Order: sequence, then structure tokens, then C-alpha cells
Amino acid sequence: MNDDIKIFIPNETSANSVGANSLYQTINKLINDEKVEIIRNGSWGAFWLEPFIEIEKDGIRKGASYKNINLSHLSTIEEFFLDFEKRTPFDINEIDFIKKQNRIVFSRIGHEDPLNIEYYKNSKGYQSLLTALEIGPQETINRIKESGLTGRGGAAFPTGIKMQTVFDQDSSVKYLACNADEGDGGTFSDRLIMESDPFALIEGMTIAAYAVGASKGYIYLRSEYPLAKDFLIRAIDITLDNNYLGNNIQNSDFNFDIELRIGAGSYVCGEETAMMESIEGRRGLVRSKPPLPAINGLFGRPTLINNVVTLATIPALLLSEQSDFSQIGSNKSIGTMPFQLSGNVNHGGLIETRFDISLNEIVKDFGYGTKSGEPIHAIQIGGPLGIYLSSSMLDTSLTIESLQALKGSVGHGGIIVFDNSVDMAEQAKFAMEFCVKESCGKCTPCRIGSVRGVEIIERLQKNKTSKDDATLLHDLCETLEATSLCAMGGMTPNPIHSIIEFFPNELIEK
Amino acid sequence: MSIDSRNIIKPFVKKKGGLMPALQALQDYLGFISKDNIAELAIAFNYSQAEVIDVITFYDDFRLAPIGKNIIKVCQAEACQSQNCKQLLSDLTSYFGLEMDETSDDLNITLKEVFCLGNCAIGPSVMINNTVIGEATTEKILSHLKNDATQKL
Repeated sequence: MNDDIKIFIPNETSANSVGANSLYQTINKLINDEKVEIIRNGSWGAFWLEPFIEIEKDGIRKGASYKNINLSHLSTIEEFFLDFEKRTPFDINEIDFIKKQNRIVFSRIGHEDPLNIEYYKNSKGYQSLLTALEIGPQETINRIKESGLTGRGGAAFPTGIKMQTVFDQDSSVKYLACNADEGDGGTFSDRLIMESDPFALIEGMTIAAYAVGASKGYIYLRSEYPLAKDFLIRAIDITLDNNYLGNNIQNSDFNFDIELRIGAGSYVCGEETAMMESIEGRRGLVRSKPPLPAINGLFGRPTLINNVVTLATIPALLLSEQSDFSQIGSNKSIGTMPFQLSGNVNHGGLIETRFDISLNEIVKDFGYGTKSGEPIHAIQIGGPLGIYLSSSMLDTSLTIESLQALKGSVGHGGIIVFDNSVDMAEQAKFAMEFCVKESCGKCTPCRIGSVRGVEIIERLQKNKTSKDDATLLHDLCETLEATSLCAMGGMTPNPIHSIIEFFPNELIEK
Repeated sequence: MSIDSRNIIKPFVKKKGGLMPALQALQDYLGFISKDNIAELAIAFNYSQAEVIDVITFYDDFRLAPIGKNIIKVCQAEACQSQNCKQLLSDLTSYFGLEMDETSDDLNITLKEVFCLGNCAIGPSVMINNTVIGEATTEKILSHLKNDATQKL
């Protein structure tokens, strides 16, 4: 009989931010028995439970929340086990927050050490790369087209069509650039993949590169994610050692390597053309399109640009001829979407589910209401360029189509809850302030219009009934939308429009 | 420029678009980018000095003067806004007697704002050097700084 004991203590930014690292150090010092092993797993994405420690014994794995708990008084590992039992441990897969999800892309997070490549391989990892190498580039692209996957970075462009465009270019050199500059406030799905399942991203990149004919890939990672950087560096090394990256991958004639580039604190570098400028070693000024990056991208070469979650989804699409992923949803909203619930909410975290779910289900069934206990007043969807919905709009479905009809977007899937202490005029002002801070400065309406926008909103905060200022704000927003090269200026008006429309009398009184 | 700094930038010179990683490596080593560095980088990368300054000044992370040993970045993005991050920031500015982007005279602390640390479900969030602190309070931040100082002794 096997009487080994495994203790799982996550090593992930959110878990560490509330003490997982120090609990690990404390518990590690108590171990004097080879039968007890600590595994630093990824996070399950149920962040209110963190640090969530699990123990596996006799094939049964249960966990308990160690939030705000200090264990420095313990002197033996047996004392820790007793403490653990007292906290009525449970199987995390049995809680509604996890049970109600449909985890396909995030199926592996939390289970194991994210750098355990044997675990990755045993849980369907690298099957899809081998499939791709067998069926060839065009068939791989066909399957991705048929899957209905659209970009999860924010623009929701069909991934397969983008890949076909890069594939069709006649060029001896092509690039793949993974956008890991996850800058939207309220989002962390890319970070969670990179920290808790980095091989999925690397496999997805390798398949995509093989399909379009790229031999070099870049990951442009924001500097605010140092732990993701550590994981990626180590994951790339392990993948190279196992010949899933490098030359003649798995005895094929395909060569591919990945270089990690770190950003330097600029939000606009998450815009694909600004990101290319930054990788090329310049200011992150956006470029005009056309030419599309797929035709003329990094260093003047055809370049496939996708965000982390999109690329990490690709392996799941090739597991069988008709993937589970594609059976979900309709129209443009195919597959699952990793929504990221945060802000003033009891149960915040990663929720991978179908698109066709109501806001009410997300904030009440998953989120368990506001942390403050006060009523919900506003919910922002899709990052700083996303719209605010009022508490009377909770039956809104989160499909791409339904949010487009409200002049918003799913964006990168961030959902932020505000209670009734929020000042919507301040939120409107913040939209403009953020644009002032993060505009690359290339387009005048974005660079200067945002400054004027802050001033107009400040005047409206003193006099909500000023017709002149309301008209001026309207005209300014129209100019930003019509004349900005990228979404930074073009979509900054979205939150402001939504505040005017869905929160009458809070910014403008008619 | 010292031989050290020349050695630091050397591996990046042949890299396509190597200026950014060179600046990052240099800053990690020196704490900031000096005037001498700019001249040397311009020659090494075949940029004009103005172009090098252009890149340095575009990005929040790069600096032309030394700053605090401990950089405290307080998240001011939307999810943290819903968790009173503005109050936290104002508590910290008054505790340290520093404005935003200001460094204490002893070069110990620099206070900065940041937009999103990806720790949104358990905000407000603060990053001290490379460590993220969730559900941050002034007390938590001070105790982290204290523990960190003790460990380094």
C-alpha cells in the first residue's frame, strides 16, 4: 500500500500575493519524512480561496483555504496535518464555482506542477502537435478555421483566416508573435495560462508556427508579470530539452524557436502594431493598417499575431476531428471564453464557460454578490475600453453579438463589479485620464482630445446640465472614434457613451 | 561607459530589435540609464542619441536618474478602483510624505502608480519590486518592507 502524502501549495501570483510562498516556506521546514512531498502546483483560479492548500493521501485529494492563517507556531508536520483536518477540507472539483464551468483551455490549471512535462503529456499535451505534423500545414489551418475560434485578445477576428493569410504569403522568413501584454484592468487569463499551464501556450505557438511556416516566435510579455517570466523561461528550456522546440522537432523537418521579450510598462504596446514597433526596438507608436501584419509585419515579414489564450486554445482544437470546443455556442461566439471576474465581488476568479451566459449568472451564481454587501451599481465588461452596464441589465447575455448590440465588446473577457459607492462621472473621467496616460501620441485626437475630454468631464462634474459641454463631449468622442488609428483612441469613448446612456443623470442631466 | 556596461549590452547588439533588452539589462545592473550609456548605446545600435532617448522616455519602466531601492507600485486600474485603491494610494503618499513618482531623500522608497497587475480578484494590489501583495493595506506593505529589510541584513 502506498502511504505517500502529497501537499499541494500553489506557486502563482495571486496565491503568492496572499501568502502562499511564506506558507510553503513554513511547511517545508517541518518535513523530515521522505514520504511527504510538497508540490508547487498552479492555481485553480478560485482566487478567494487562496492560498488554497491541498493534501493527497490514498488517492484522495482535498484542500482547504489558508487565507490569513499563520502557521509559524507549528513545530511538526503532524501538527500541520491536524490543523488541515480541522479546516474541513473538500474536493475543489465539487464546488459550484468549478463544477459549473466548462474548462477546456484551462483544463490543466491547478492540478500539478506546471513545469511537469510528464503530467502535461499524460493529460493530452503534445498530441495535437504530433497530429499537426502528420496532417500538414493546410489541413491544420482548415481544422482551426472549421473550429470557429476567434481571437481572445479583444478583437475577435477569426483565427483560421488570419493563419491562412500568413500561410499564403510567399516569403522565406515569417514570424509568429504572441501578444502577452495583457494590460486591460481586470484581466488575468493570459497570466494564468503562462504561470499555471505554460506548455499549452508553447504547444499552441509551435502548431501555429508550423501551420503558417514561421521558424521564429516571439512572446511579448508585460513587465508587470515577473512570475510568468520565470515560468516561461523554464518552460521553454524544458521544451527544448524534450525536442518539442528547436531543430527537427519530433524528428520532423520543422524548426522553431521562441524568444521572450519583456515590455516596459506601456499599455498601448498591447496593440499589435505598437507591439511590433516595441519588439523592433523603438517607441511603441502604432502603425497604420494596411499593410496587415499578416502580410507585412515584424521586420517587414509576414507575421501571425495572436494573444496567449488564443494560441493556448489551438491544441484543444486538434484533439479530435470535431473538437468539443466547436460544439459549444453559435454565430461568432463559438467555443468557451475565459471570463475573469473581479472587483467588488465575493468569489472572484477565472470562469471558463460558454459565451451564452447571463451577467446575472456570472456575478451572482459564480461571484456570490458584492464583497461589501452593498447592491451592485455597475459592471464593466471588456477592460478600460469596455462598456459599463447598470444593475438593471443583468440579464444581458455575454455573447460577442449581444455586447456588440450594446456598442460594447467582450474584449479580453474582464468583468469588474462595482457597488453603489461608485461615482460614474469619475469612471467616465478615468476613461479619458487613462487615454491621456497611455496614448502613444501618434493621432492628435487621442493625444490631445483625451486631455480636453478630462477637462470637459470635470466641468460636467460641476454642472451636469451644461448642454454645451454635453454636445462638446459627444463631438469629441465622435472625432476620437472616426480618426484614431487604433482601438486606444477609437474605443476610449465606449465606456463614456455607456455611462451617458445606461446611467442617466450620473454624468449628464438632460 | 565602463567595461562592465559594454559587456552587458554586447549580447544584444546583434539581436534584431535588441535595444529594449539591452536597456533592461543595463538598468537592472546600474539602476538607471546614464548619459554616457545613451551615447554608447547609440553607437552600438546605430541609432542617433535622440532615438535612444526617444525609446527610453516612451516607456514607464526606464529612468534617467536613480530611484528608490524599493519601488512601490500601487494599482489604480478599474478592479482595484472598486476596492478603494485611491484611498490606499493617498494613505501611502501621506505616510511616506511622497508624491507620485517621487523618491525619498534616502533613496529607499519610490512611489508609483501602475495599471493592472493581473491580481484583480483580490485587490487592491500593490507591487513592491517583484512581489505582488493582494488585499493590500498600509500595514501589510510596511510589514513586507520590514521583513524584506531584515532578510537582507
